[in-house]
Amino acid sequence: MKPFEYSKAENTTSAIKLAGNSSMYISGGTNLIDLMKKHIHEPDKLIDLTDAVSSEITVQENGIRIGAMVRNSTLAEDSLILDKFPLLSRAILKGASPQIRNMASTGGNLLQRTRCPYFYDTALPCNKRIPGSGCGALEGNNRMSAVIGYSNSCVAVHPSDMCVALVALDTKVEILKPDGNTEMINFEDFHRLPGDNPQKDNNLPDGAIITAIEIQNNSFNKNYDYLKLRERESYAFALISVAAALELSGNLIREARLASGGVAHKPWRWKDAENFLKGENATEENFKKAAELAIEKIAPLEDNKFKTEMLKGAIQQSFMNCVTNR
Amino acid sequence: MDYFFEKEVENNARGRVEAEEKVTGKAKYSAEYDIPELAHAVMVGSTIAAGRILNIDIANAKEAPGVIDILTHNNRPTVPGIATEEAWKKSRFSLPVFHTDKIYYNEQPIAMVIAETLEDATYAASLVTADYEESEFETNFKEERDSVETIETKEEKGSRENWQNADHIIEREFKIAMEVHNPMEPHATIADWKNGELTLYDKSQNVYGVQGNIAKLFDISENNIRVISEFVGGGFGSGLLVWPNTVVAIMASQHLNRPVKVVLTRPQMFTSVGHRPESWQRFKIGADKSGKFLGCYHQAKHATSSHTGHTDNITGLTWKHYHFPNIKTEQEEIPLNIPKPTWMRGPGDASGAFAIESIVDELCEKLDMDPVEVRLMNLSETDSQGKPWSTNYLNECLKIGAEKIGWNKNRKSKPGELKEGEWNIGYGMAVGFWNAGRQDADASIEMKPNGDIIVRSAMTDIGTGTGTAMQNMAHNFLGIPKNKIAIELGDSDLPYAPSQGGSWGLSSLSGGVAAACKSLKTKLVDLAYGSKFEKGKGNLKLVKLNSDGISMEDDSLEPVSYKSIFDKNNLGVLNVKASSSPREEAKKYGFCSSAAHYVKLKVNKLTGDIKILEMVSVADGGKIINDQAAANQVIGAAIGGIGMALMEKQDIDHNHGRLIGNDLAGYHFPCNADAPIIDVSFIDKPDYNRNPAGAKGLGEVGIIGCAAAITNAIYNATGKRMRDLPVTPDKILMA
Repeated sequence: MKPFEYSKAENTTSAIKLAGNSSMYISGGTNLIDLMKKHIHEPDKLIDLTDAVSSEITVQENGIRIGAMVRNSTLAEDSLILDKFPLLSRAILKGASPQIRNMASTGGNLLQRTRCPYFYDTALPCNKRIPGSGCGALEGNNRMSAVIGYSNSCVAVHPSDMCVALVALDTKVEILKPDGNTEMINFEDFHRLPGDNPQKDNNLPDGAIITAIEIQNNSFNKNYDYLKLRERESYAFALISVAAALELSGNLIREARLASGGVAHKPWRWKDAENFLKGENATEENFKKAAELAIEKIAPLEDNKFKTEMLKGAIQQSFMNCVTNR
Repeated sequence: MDYFFEKEVENNARGRVEAEEKVTGKAKYSAEYDIPELAHAVMVGSTIAAGRILNIDIANAKEAPGVIDILTHNNRPTVPGIATEEAWKKSRFSLPVFHTDKIYYNEQPIAMVIAETLEDATYAASLVTADYEESEFETNFKEERDSVETIETKEEKGSRENWQNADHIIEREFKIAMEVHNPMEPHATIADWKNGELTLYDKSQNVYGVQGNIAKLFDISENNIRVISEFVGGGFGSGLLVWPNTVVAIMASQHLNRPVKVVLTRPQMFTSVGHRPESWQRFKIGADKSGKFLGCYHQAKHATSSHTGHTDNITGLTWKHYHFPNIKTEQEEIPLNIPKPTWMRGPGDASGAFAIESIVDELCEKLDMDPVEVRLMNLSETDSQGKPWSTNYLNECLKIGAEKIGWNKNRKSKPGELKEGEWNIGYGMAVGFWNAGRQDADASIEMKPNGDIIVRSAMTDIGTGTGTAMQNMAHNFLGIPKNKIAIELGDSDLPYAPSQGGSWGLSSLSGGVAAACKSLKTKLVDLAYGSKFEKGKGNLKLVKLNSDGISMEDDSLEPVSYKSIFDKNNLGVLNVKASSSPREEAKKYGFCSSAAHYVKLKVNKLTGDIKILEMVSVADGGKIINDQAAANQVIGAAIGGIGMALMEKQDIDHNHGRLIGNDLAGYHFPCNADAPIIDVSFIDKPDYNRNPAGAKGLGEVGIIGCAAAITNAIYNATGKRMRDLPVTPDKILMA
């Protein structure tokens, strides 16, 4: 990789001070190091945030606050998380491998870049990597690509499993901006669609740091499921993933949450399906209708037409798992 | 199943001979030798699939820290064997690396940066750029395959007319994706060419093969080349040939007069050391009402590289394990702008078996007969030349496997009858078959006065347990306890051995070890007893070597200690060396290894998800020399079979003629969570016509037929015939 300067920030204030034009923040490094080896990112300077950002999980009045430096493994095994938001734990454990989860941070997980093969090969065109170079996947191999929310510039999908659970759980992202101000962003608004500038994955301002995420208390800790379909059982990105959760009163659905990975440039919420289920009974028939509402909106590409059928089946199976708690 | 869990280790054995080295990190793989003055080289690949290099810009790279030099086709030392098109096309190496401006495939090496550290070389390599004149290329096997007709592979047996009115005729097409070997250890070479002597630390399955090839390419004497592959981290066939990393490392060492190391990156492992070519097959089978096969017509096409050929003998198996009165086989290769394919575990037969074993399953359904019964009644009693099998226990494998998985008890013959919620459960089976080959092999033994011996062979051990098997065999042939038997292998300074491939490694080596053991006994008997031995019964079989000395089983002669033999004859050490070849007698027989594979799995009807629940493999590998190592072979092969059936495929972007996702995240082979505990058992009956140990090779039969056993089980679960590998969940849903 290209030689670079490295410094470890003591706190977020000094991290922001250290940042410059060609600098990048690093926490777990599980994605960034690969990107540097492949010459996709070539920062002159790395600012290590591992000491600067909180690695605490704390109870708050209305929910839980997770420091951005909490490692994925820690988060997945935390008793508070297992008690209140077990869906999050299950989604994390479906991602990557134990070794990667031991290093990867909460904030970094949000910022990991797409795994579209065209993005990773500098000999191939990719608008996300080199704006204006074209989208190799659009006319090429788009089996793993998006089925909704894509543009002619980019059909890449967001790769995270954890983020699918987080968007389903109405998480908020706390960021510290270079001007020293803090802002809370709704998780759904954190990542963005590619549009004409797919080089931007999210709405995090330049130089800003994710400091924590917060999840409000909810009642989705009894009937939930994270279903991930992939070509092998570990260390493989999703063809389709589904985070589903129900708040049940007897057989009546009081609230439903439904989100997917492997479908869009951002973790995707299926709100029409959620709204439909609210107030309905938890039946196979209703889950099927919810799944049909979700797939109505999608527009698969040449190689990923299967995602329609797979998404539909995965949503049904996932809601059924919520009820049987499988 | 109990090979690794309940087995008590014999008290004088210590598991694998190399276990301590491997678990403590003492074992040195090719890239791990500490050589003074070592320089590091990194290859730069082309970014086009076909055309010509107009200009290579190395200016920026040369300025990068630590760079010593950069080699391209403009400044490399000339390698005689690839200097001209005529020469390289004739050579077994068949790639004019750095000797042409022509580009034949994407990632063809166009330059090499040599630097003081790996990091420096890697970074500088990223700064090398090239201008090209691009030309048209073809990488799409599916589009090109119809443009070529298949050609008869050997003379037709009988005639297709003989079975044109058979009671049952089925014809189907089968496809298999490009697969990549991906041994855990990347290919690596350290070349050290000093004072006319070339030493190569080279990841290989064939040290003498490398020595011979390099001698020809560089026009130097084999005597001046030493090839060392003492520890090899897997191969699966990728280490059978000489690849660019070896040739360019030698060029760099010659150029700099320094030792140079080249280690492939994981993405380079996909473009530099071969792959199993993408293939298409059409198989037509005919049978009578009773289920007897009447004939088959098997056609196959597979991809190859346009710059050099490779043949996977996909239709070879068709002549082997079943008796077809009429057989016609045809093949052809489709040249594409892709890297060179090569043999990959079960080459040809693993692909062919998918077609044969799938269509037989389909035929059984048409016949309304049990797939095990139909196979049993059609097994061939002779090899393709009509010679009787020396030993062939495939029938026993079939019966034992059926019993183990509960074939008759648990399986429903109609698809989709076993259910568990949204999951459909299915059973499937298929067989594997492979020529049990044997080659010439030498071995030597060195004995010390205390009776410790070292058994030596140039054979590599790619993880199969070759060394451990040598120790077992020497112990069995001599009687000397295992803890006094050391093993040395993987070095061209050691006695000749063939490649470790084709499942003939152990079979060949057993001849060498047996011959060397006999020589040692003969020599010791001569030194200990002289003419007394000949005057007595003279039977070497009665001679026993124990930890301290020599004795006769029938006590006809006094025991003599090694120490007194060595003292009396004033010997420091005792060396014997012997050669071996397959027996003349063996020409009368056909030789085969075989296996029956049984699978239980479930398929989710909503999501297409497939989970393998049970796998049973019963193999005939003759006498089992070391049961743990043998079981390890079959388990590894079965997991390779899961990969072939369900996930392994290398994608190519045909717009740019370039592999995509060529790394361990993008190319999926099974992890532990994809594999059940695989129940392996062996027939364990010796075949002494094959070799003195009675062993037959086991490397390939474990994977051959595996994919069909899985797709047959998928059919039994879902009623969907999957004829296009790998069967990823989307294919289930779209079928």
